[in-house]
Amino acid sequence: MTETVLQLRELKKWFPISGGVLGRVRGYVRAIDGVDLEIKEGETFGLVGESGSGKTTVGRCILRLIEPTAGQIVYRGQNITKLKSEALRRIRRKFGVVFQDPYASLDPRQTIKSALTEPMKYHRIVGSDEEAVERAKDLIKRVGLNEDHLYRFPHEFSGGQRQRIAVARALTTDPDFIVLDEPTSFLDVSVQAQILNLLSDLQKELNLTYLFISHNLSVIEHMSNRVGVMYLGALMEAADKDIVYRKPEHPYTHALISALPIPNPALERERVVLAGDIPSPVNIPSGCRFRTRCPHANQYCTEKEPALIERQPGHPVSCHYDLKLSTPIPLAETVPKT
Amino acid sequence: MSKNEEVLLTVSNLKLNFHTYAGDVKALDGVSFRIKKGEALGLVGESGCGKSVTALAIVGLLPENASVIDGEIVLEGKNIIKVAHDEMRKIRANRIAMVFQDPTTFLNPVLTIGEQLEEVFLLNPERLARVATEGRIPEGLLEVKEEATHTKQDAFEAASAKLSGSQAKKVARELSIDVLKQVRLPDPERILKQYPHELSGGMRQRSMIAMALARNPDLFIADEITTALDVTIQAQILELLRELKKELLGSTLLITHDLGVVAELCDRVAVMYAGNIVEVAYVNELYANPLHPYTQGLMRAIPMIDRKMDRLETIPGSVPDLIYPPSGCRFHPRCPFAFEKCKLVKPELIDAGKNHSVACHLYGEGKP
Repeated sequence: MTETVLQLRELKKWFPISGGVLGRVRGYVRAIDGVDLEIKEGETFGLVGESGSGKTTVGRCILRLIEPTAGQIVYRGQNITKLKSEALRRIRRKFGVVFQDPYASLDPRQTIKSALTEPMKYHRIVGSDEEAVERAKDLIKRVGLNEDHLYRFPHEFSGGQRQRIAVARALTTDPDFIVLDEPTSFLDVSVQAQILNLLSDLQKELNLTYLFISHNLSVIEHMSNRVGVMYLGALMEAADKDIVYRKPEHPYTHALISALPIPNPALERERVVLAGDIPSPVNIPSGCRFRTRCPHANQYCTEKEPALIERQPGHPVSCHYDLKLSTPIPLAETVPKT
Repeated sequence: MSKNEEVLLTVSNLKLNFHTYAGDVKALDGVSFRIKKGEALGLVGESGCGKSVTALAIVGLLPENASVIDGEIVLEGKNIIKVAHDEMRKIRANRIAMVFQDPTTFLNPVLTIGEQLEEVFLLNPERLARVATEGRIPEGLLEVKEEATHTKQDAFEAASAKLSGSQAKKVARELSIDVLKQVRLPDPERILKQYPHELSGGMRQRSMIAMALARNPDLFIADEITTALDVTIQAQILELLRELKKELLGSTLLITHDLGVVAELCDRVAVMYAGNIVEVAYVNELYANPLHPYTQGLMRAIPMIDRKMDRLETIPGSVPDLIYPPSGCRFHPRCPFAFEKCKLVKPELIDAGKNHSVACHLYGEGKP
């Protein structure tokens, strides 16, 4: 049995909305509204959802970049939700992060060398400057760049190269768990493939565990072992990748995947197009939060919120009904000639 | 040439540079393609390949620092590349409508959707007349006039000539409601009174499509219109376009980087790389049998969920700097099959059978 690296228990993050002359709290943006999930050693857990589903907030809460309102974050059996100062610093060494926008995540006035060595010094991983530079050289080569690049500034690099640098920086402290928050959304497809391959290679070489956050269903499918689908701050379904993509049991997962444009005009499938817009996380619908757009919703769904219940081991679903949904995207039998 | 093969727009050998302080960016290097009447053509490529610039050239909205070096854009027999501003405005009002990626940038934030949409009709009495002849005029208004005259056309021309300001506004309002219904916006009366910020991204994009429909264009250009939207909202817009395509949109030029969106909507597809069209074919043919090494590379670099892929193949390197584009074939430095000729001679689009053309020396004479 592989070890659980990270576990979220009933995690919540509500952002207060204040207003009026007195600045009273008038309501909350319920960005994450009770998320439970488990990430195992060496796997890539894909977290997918549309904008406003709370997937990025989950990533940031795990890193303690924002403080959760309630719930627990458990890293290798240790509750890290309330850790402070030195204890937090020690845990953070084990975490890495790669953000979406490589133009914003690198300091334009810092050389790459400094961007890579600073975290090592802060976390006291290296004994001397020389050792830090040696490690930086090693890292920059690992991500497919070369030593000369250490002495340059971010503006001298293309988007793909910057993202490689961001990956190198995420590795500076020898982490074993990395949050990848839309790491390829800014990149063109040919460059995206390079970064995805790099991430897969590094995972194998260094035995890393990834939380891969993305709105791109195809990328999540390619990268993940297990996938969680979020909607309006809650997990709708989580399971092994093949179950989520071929035998989903939640109607939202089913609609999401069936609506994805696939670069294969010969593929025959039934598309489920959901009506309406995603409700605001300030006013989450009563009962099941998906019911306003669900083609199967009934009166009961407006009254009672479904619990996230494991239907099979490792396959929790948050729906009152067992809907017997079709396969949204069948596997193509023939792969086109290349 | 059969009737449905009639060509609406021909772009031939379009060459275009941007002047910058660093030097001239050779953005388009002899782009040629045709759009037939009633078809949807997809123009795909990565960022910087020139797909949006091509569209801007067609609608005459190129930025100041762009200069057209060579080439023609012919809309039904008339070269529109160097027509005067006023005439280009008329073409944009009547014949070619373009919708962009980010609707917030193109909607005026201080005017209601109604004010912006009604303007399309008010500035264009001829459009009102044409809409009238197609039976899309609010019934009450037309019937009154029809008693006095012979045909709907006469009726409307007479009507629009005589319409006072407030009457014209009323007609425009009715037509606006009509067109909002066509883009399946719920409660159109209310939406007319709303400002862009009160609408969701999907609704804003629907309003933009409504403004394009209001002009009843011969050519509808959609530049990455679903890119900024969520998957389920994108699906709604794609479904809308599929429905509108049949009856109302005329020809469509769909610009996107997403090969999936092209597969959903287009009849034919043209692939661009670094300012050139490298391959054109019907979608089924292109996806089943990509010929150009760039297209092949692109197809193998995207994760596809309808098939098992262990590892993505990558195209080495990155898109070239178009101030100093590579000699010969612009793809040759990244091409696994490049040979001597590729460095020296620019390949032209050649016919490879099955209505499939490709710009690559591998398929021409003198291949190794």
